[in-house]
Amino acid sequence: MPSYKKPESIIAPAGYCGGCGHGVVQRLIAESIEELGLQDRAIASVDIACAFWSQDAMNYEFIAGPHGRCASVATGIKKIHPEATVYVHAGDGCSYVIGLTETSYAAIRDVPITMIVVNNGIFGMTGGQLNLATTLLGDKTLSSKKGRKKETMGHPVDILKVLACYDVEFLARGALYDPRHIEQTKRFIKKGFTNQRDGKGFSLIEVLSPCPTNWKMTPVQAMEKIKNETEKIFPVGVYADRGGAGNG
Amino acid sequence: MEKEYTLMKGNEAIAEAALRAGCRFYAGYPITPQSEILEYMADHMEERGGVFIQGENEIASMSMLYGAAACGARCMSSSSGPGFDLKQEEISYLSAAGLPAVLVNAMRYGLGDGEITAGQDSYWVSTRGGGHGDKRIIVLAPASVQECADLTYLAFDLAEKYRNVVEILSDGAICQMIEKVYLPDAREHDIDQFDWTLTGKPRKQKKNKVYNLSYYMGYEKYNALMRDKFREMHENEQRWESLMTEDAELVLVAYGISSRACRSAVRQARKEGLKLGLIRPITVWPYPQKAFEAVSGSTKAYVSVEMSLSSQMGEDILVASRNDRPFYAYLTGKDLPEAEGIIGYCRDILEGNIQPTEVF
Repeated sequence: MPSYKKPESIIAPAGYCGGCGHGVVQRLIAESIEELGLQDRAIASVDIACAFWSQDAMNYEFIAGPHGRCASVATGIKKIHPEATVYVHAGDGCSYVIGLTETSYAAIRDVPITMIVVNNGIFGMTGGQLNLATTLLGDKTLSSKKGRKKETMGHPVDILKVLACYDVEFLARGALYDPRHIEQTKRFIKKGFTNQRDGKGFSLIEVLSPCPTNWKMTPVQAMEKIKNETEKIFPVGVYADRGGAGNG
Repeated sequence: MEKEYTLMKGNEAIAEAALRAGCRFYAGYPITPQSEILEYMADHMEERGGVFIQGENEIASMSMLYGAAACGARCMSSSSGPGFDLKQEEISYLSAAGLPAVLVNAMRYGLGDGEITAGQDSYWVSTRGGGHGDKRIIVLAPASVQECADLTYLAFDLAEKYRNVVEILSDGAICQMIEKVYLPDAREHDIDQFDWTLTGKPRKQKKNKVYNLSYYMGYEKYNALMRDKFREMHENEQRWESLMTEDAELVLVAYGISSRACRSAVRQARKEGLKLGLIRPITVWPYPQKAFEAVSGSTKAYVSVEMSLSSQMGEDILVASRNDRPFYAYLTGKDLPEAEGIIGYCRDILEGNIQPTEVF
């Protein structure tokens, strides 16, 4: 039976827009940390974009720094406090575009952190511009008003497939468009924290997440878009699992 | 018993002094002429129980440092020229969050990739730079291998005292020269002594959030805190050496490698009956204003000696001296200044052969 009790780590409302996936992700993080009994040593590295709001909502220690560098900041923390539970909560612009180098080298160094990347296919905090890694072909954004064209703007890329080329602990993609997928995403996130608890390597969980505000859709339409379009380009599942038994 | 000395490069003295000051985190990216700092840390950091990371670039190195500094560790990174440019983003973030860190900038001459040899034209980026927003960085300019060690050792204390970035501004000559050095004693640093650090605290304990101080304090308190800090650093941390300024006709002003040529020039000129003096800033921020207050009535003008295209230090000299005397700048660009050239320039000033240097 799923529990609907609010995690005790969430102590204040966050500033997310209505229908945003970040709040769900934040809750799944809190549930995973609490179920594993790790809330007394958690340190979060968040980006200065939408994930930043979780800093005000969660009763953990937080650091927010240069846009895109969350994986590097978390690396510095984990190296100084190996016993702490260090996680990243950031978006796809941070992790896959401006910070792709930092994400890649945290993976290549196999730093034992848990990185949660919210893939909403758009630059949310800045008002809805193209995301080079994740905006689907044809999608209209403030910086691709006629729709994304492959010829001039390149194509979306499955970063998990790229990262799977490296020797890392765990890579998985979840979605939030129905309870079954939310539960699966939770298992992926919890697996990421379990790996860290057990001293294993780098885990990254990407979550297909709606941004109704910038997609200019209702929350329900946004969920349908993920189910019908996004997931076809970015399939849900496990992309790497060195320890095994990770397919939720 | 006489204290033992060792022979070291400036870069090595900086690295060893940092380790002895309790630096236990270094992240950086290779660039000439300071790569020996990174190599020395690679060789010796682990044996002291610290963390060495060769970063994938300057920005990532500095971001890792940002995380480690937030945990209270004594942290260092180092670079030069175009590499140091890339550190500006995180200097702004470190400053915003009030995190201590020690950075080394070994100046190489020129724009773009420029040269790999000594220069002093990164004065502006060091004293005015540090990315966007209002901040000040304490900048210490060693003129010997001994000072490389001593000022690096001091830098960590200053960084923590003010929760501020401190920079060691060396150059391609100072960092590569080998000299005798007495190393400071090794000490351990307790990373748990601060109340602002990230430790991963139990749920009942108040959590720390490391981000712009202004976000949690509000701008009114934050502005006052920062202004007070700038003022306090300016008042308390001016360091300089004055050499024979009491009766000098002309006072040379130079730091780092140029100050060594000036020291020779002062001695040689006095043998020839020309009374030169020298103000050698050891901090170039805060600029040693107090040194100029003590300049005597016999002094007719200031002469800045710098390895740069413009007199980058000129503005600071004019402000520190309240523009009370004519100002000249002897600028040698990528070439090391020599005593003969400095003396010749000074004679030309006194004979009225050259006009004061404009600063703009």
